[in-house]
Amino acid sequence: MASDDALPTLKILLIGPSGAGKSALLMRYCDDEFDPDTAAATIGIDFKIKRLAVRGKPYRLTLFDTAGQERFRTLSTSFYRGAHGVILVYDISNRASFMSMERWFDEAKANTVEDVALYLVGAKLDKASRSREVTQEEGLALAEQHGASFCEASSKTSENVRRPFVEIVNQIVQTPGLLTNATAKRRSGTVVVDSTTNNGYFLPNCAC
Amino acid sequence: MGSISDTLWDVVICGTGLQQSLLALSLSRSGKNILHIDPNDYYGGAEAAFSLQEAESWVDRLATEDKGLFRSASITKPDVAGLSFPRAYSLALAPQLIHARSELLSQLVSSRAYRQVEFLAVGSFYIFKAPLDPAQQPSLVRIPSTREDVFSTTAISAKAKRGLMKFLKFVLDYDSPEQRDAWKPFVDKPLVDFLQEHFKMDAELKAYIIALTLSLDGRISTEDGLSIIYRHLTSMGHFGPGFAALYPKWGGISEIAQVACRAGAVGGAVYMLGAGIKSMATATDEVELELTSGDKVKTKLLVRGDGSVGDEPSISRLVAVVGSPLKSLFESTIEGAPTPCVAVVVLPAGSLTISGVANTFPVYVFAHSSGTGECPNGQSVLYLSTMATSNSKEVLSRALESFFSAVDHDQVPQCLYQLYYEQAAGVKQSRLDQLTLDLPGPSLSLSMDDTLLKHVREAWKKVVGDTVDDAEYMVFTDREPVDDDDFE
Repeated sequence: MASDDALPTLKILLIGPSGAGKSALLMRYCDDEFDPDTAAATIGIDFKIKRLAVRGKPYRLTLFDTAGQERFRTLSTSFYRGAHGVILVYDISNRASFMSMERWFDEAKANTVEDVALYLVGAKLDKASRSREVTQEEGLALAEQHGASFCEASSKTSENVRRPFVEIVNQIVQTPGLLTNATAKRRSGTVVVDSTTNNGYFLPNCAC
Repeated sequence: MGSISDTLWDVVICGTGLQQSLLALSLSRSGKNILHIDPNDYYGGAEAAFSLQEAESWVDRLATEDKGLFRSASITKPDVAGLSFPRAYSLALAPQLIHARSELLSQLVSSRAYRQVEFLAVGSFYIFKAPLDPAQQPSLVRIPSTREDVFSTTAISAKAKRGLMKFLKFVLDYDSPEQRDAWKPFVDKPLVDFLQEHFKMDAELKAYIIALTLSLDGRISTEDGLSIIYRHLTSMGHFGPGFAALYPKWGGISEIAQVACRAGAVGGAVYMLGAGIKSMATATDEVELELTSGDKVKTKLLVRGDGSVGDEPSISRLVAVVGSPLKSLFESTIEGAPTPCVAVVVLPAGSLTISGVANTFPVYVFAHSSGTGECPNGQSVLYLSTMATSNSKEVLSRALESFFSAVDHDQVPQCLYQLYYEQAAGVKQSRLDQLTLDLPGPSLSLSMDDTLLKHVREAWKKVVGDTVDDAEYMVFTDREPVDDDDFE
């Protein structure tokens, strides 16, 4: 859609350990789909685009999944570049996934700008009654320690699925320093390489 | 998710330099099982970009471990304030320019990988002029490289202008049968000889032309030189007014390697850093590898980068962080042109004096503004390159000083940090030995060397097989879905 180009574009990353439910959250939010059988690592999803209005103003979100590069912690510095917000996801029914979050916070902070918006999500809330291994209080405490917002969500039941996205965008748009590079689609100095101008500078019929 | 030892991989790619990463990109829709590893704990191999911390550990490692293509690395921090925190910097080991007409760019566009790379314009080329009178300051003269430029410049005489125009028009048609006759006798001889004999150019004009070729030894052959200048001229204006070459933001080729690897990962390739090959055994139809991570994996094909030293001479490099934005170098010269973030300054052979002796080879300075994301605002990064000689380190130091006094006569910029190293040329051919394919070593060229791309394509062919049409190489559609609204 042509009008889309005018929308401020926000880059938001979903990171966290393998199997935490990052892709499920993304699929539920963007496509309202949940497939209980695709526990396998995510293949084929680069990023999803979603338009979201916050405080009456529309934004174009580009939501980046880890593409399996979280497995051996090989996310590249280029993946993090230009991120406005990072959603860190762990599994409330898996203690080890929660324990690894400290390192994910460190990596996110080390590779992004100082005032980047951080959001911690405890995923698989539907498992709370049967196999919860991390309390809500622990999650909240960790988030606060890192200046992040927090909620628990379930991609299976859709509970709270929109909340992290709406709240992180809300957080981003209230951080003026973060938004400066979101509004101009073509930043000054950036060259568009998918169309050529073909205005050669030395024409053969030059008269000198 | 199974262990990586359970899979019989179609290909294991070792190393994440440009070529291996492009191979991963080219195979990202092939459905092949790919394991992509790198003995380093960073992406990019010989084309990596480093924070100051990473540069320091790189230098430390070079001092103790197998030296490979790099040697004599050292870091100097002059005792001045101004350096920011280590991650505020991204210093490129391979700060190559990419001409607008480079095949690499077409491949990045057709494969859709370009969407994740921000390309910046490379602006003016300058030539350093030593003062005739030693009491005076040296200066930088902008090399005219468009027709308008040649007309409007006051730096050269009317006669020289005519000579330059004549040459530039010749180059645009250089491969036609009638023009070929003119340069054929000089094909393998240095371009300077041809410029002298055929165009009767004076020393200054010759220096301009050679500077545009970025020839490290200044002795580029007539055939190669003409083709490079042709590429330069036809690239001019290709993506917009006022520039012929591009540079990927945040560290050049390193950024392309990372984006290509991510495309590989999106396609299902498994990535491991800090995992090299400890030992290997080749059977009839598979290679068994023991990785330094302790994992044992089996693959039908192993693709590596050849890390051995080739026959061609080495180069010396100096990366300097400067406490000044060097604004005058990054002005756009044409209306509507993007603000350039890279400028090229050439100090020709003979323009510097080191212990009473003139420099034999030119020194190339690539100046990067903070717009490259490689340093904080208010600073800039200089990448100096020259042929390695017994005193090339001194040559580069002198070149840096001379550059400083030429760029700003009133307030000489301050150097905050220096990284020096020498890089040997790798081997130029790929090599297939049973089930192991070694891609050529990284190029020392100062602009993207498209000849490397054909080796990547051959490796791709080896993996996908002859039944796949060559026309499908690196041609992909966008993966992202159509927009979906979440409006209230």
